Amino acid sequence: MSELAPDVAHERPPVALRAGDLARVASRSFQLQALLSPERMQGLGFGFAILPVIRRLYHDPASRGDALKRHLRYFATHPVLSGFVLGSAARLEERRANGAPVTDDAIDSYKRALASPLAALGDPLFWVTLRPLAGLLGVLAVALLPRPATGEPDLRALLCPLVLVLTYNAVALPYRWIGVSRGYEHADRPDVLLRSLRLPELTTFLEGAGAFVFGSLLVLLAAGLDVASSAWGRQAGGRMLEAAPLLLGALIGFVGMRRWPSRSVEVGLAALFAGALLAAWALIP
Amino acid sequence: MIPELLRIALLGGIVAVDRTAGWNLMLSQPLVGACLAGALIRPGPEWELWALRVPIAVGAILQLLLTNSALPAAQRPHDTAAAGVIGSSVALLGLMRLHPILPVSAAGLLWVVVGVAAGLVAAVLGGWFARFSRGAVSSTAGRADALAERGALGSFERLYWGGLLRLFVGGALWAWGGTLLLLGFALWLLPLLAVVFTARRAGILFAVLLGTALAAAFHVHVRGRARGLRWAALGAIVTVLVLRAFHAAAESGAAGGDAP
Repeated sequence: MSELAPDVAHERPPVALRAGDLARVASRSFQLQALLSPERMQGLGFGFAILPVIRRLYHDPASRGDALKRHLRYFATHPVLSGFVLGSAARLEERRANGAPVTDDAIDSYKRALASPLAALGDPLFWVTLRPLAGLLGVLAVALLPRPATGEPDLRALLCPLVLVLTYNAVALPYRWIGVSRGYEHADRPDVLLRSLRLPELTTFLEGAGAFVFGSLLVLLAAGLDVASSAWGRQAGGRMLEAAPLLLGALIGFVGMRRWPSRSVEVGLAALFAGALLAAWALIP
Repeated sequence: MIPELLRIALLGGIVAVDRTAGWNLMLSQPLVGACLAGALIRPGPEWELWALRVPIAVGAILQLLLTNSALPAAQRPHDTAAAGVIGSSVALLGLMRLHPILPVSAAGLLWVVVGVAAGLVAAVLGGWFARFSRGAVSSTAGRADALAERGALGSFERLYWGGLLRLFVGGALWAWGGTLLLLGFALWLLPLLAVVFTARRAGILFAVLLGTALAAAFHVHVRGRARGLRWAALGAIVTVLVLRAFHAAAESGAAGGDAP
């Protein structure tokens, strides 16, 4: 024991990351795309987010610079799920700082291997399903909440955006906050980490919820048009003429968005143009 | 108008950072941007009703229209964040200035249509603007590498915060400039067309836009989703039942109130 003591005294004491470091990484992950570029994608953002870890683990400028360079390479994943990769990378950096044989390429390969499935699972959940659902719920709130009486403030202007923001963030923010610590804990078992997130199940549930809310919105709008009233039977012709612009718009949207799914603005402008032609039609007083 | 434009610029900067920097708190959604712009413009007590109502309608239609089910990489670069802010601002600022020519009472929906049109144009122009500003980031990557080589972590951090600030300033400038540009165009064009814009015609334009927005929402939420039609039908049936229950409760309440 006495023979070993001098060696131990010369060795650098092991460094460990603290909960505060991981929390700082999580908060910085919100700025992941500030310097997004086609060549590196979120690479510079990853380097920025992991800086608290680098500062804790390395103390001389050369090793800090080397560590930062490792993380400035190409990196792309879903921003909400980036914390899982950041946490895992932090664990690998900690091991490397404590002398484990973890090479630059091993860290880079690990990051890429985890980032790709997270992007593949995160895009359908957050961009394709949750964001549209949150927007639809905000619009549903416009139709659902009562109009204010004359002279009273229209609280819908506050509540509808709030519904949208709260719906999205109720799902997304927990992933952001727990991401770094969960990634740090499960760095050795990325497969377990990915399965534990249950992202495909959540996507399927939210897809059903989106369609459900759409059906509900249609009924609320139809209730506003009073389609169940007996007047539709008595004055069917006049009522259909009144509904014609709505149906024309629906037709333009249905055909246009089916043929060019990503050209919603152009389809909207085309609808506006068609509506202007209809409105300018000589028969309409 | 300068205080209003400054507030719009501030909001434009915030929503641009939310959309592009990775915050993704959904402040950049058209409904949120439009309603916040309406609240920030604060046109005065005489416009209080319209200052809140027009942005809600502009935001709701833009929200349905601009929600895209394609993955971001497959989408055309549209600036949906600025669309709500600029659309709502153009509608409100135009409404206040052109009221003598286009009275709100006759054509309240007209300003919703003007706001949606301005928002759609702003989305296209903002997409070009965003593409242009992204090009500047490529040179920043080289500087970041050089700073990492020197181990200058603090300088790298400042470079990064500078990028964030650039996004904010770009968004603010675009919201400010886009609002001025489209408002100027609206103030020039609308008085020339004032005779044409009857309340009925504005209503037709609004209905066409609403129909298109609903069809866009159908594509996003129902078509192509697993059992989408079944879920939509279930949602419709449940809502009908709930509405009927409310209606019956209201009627029985009214009958109870009439009873001696």
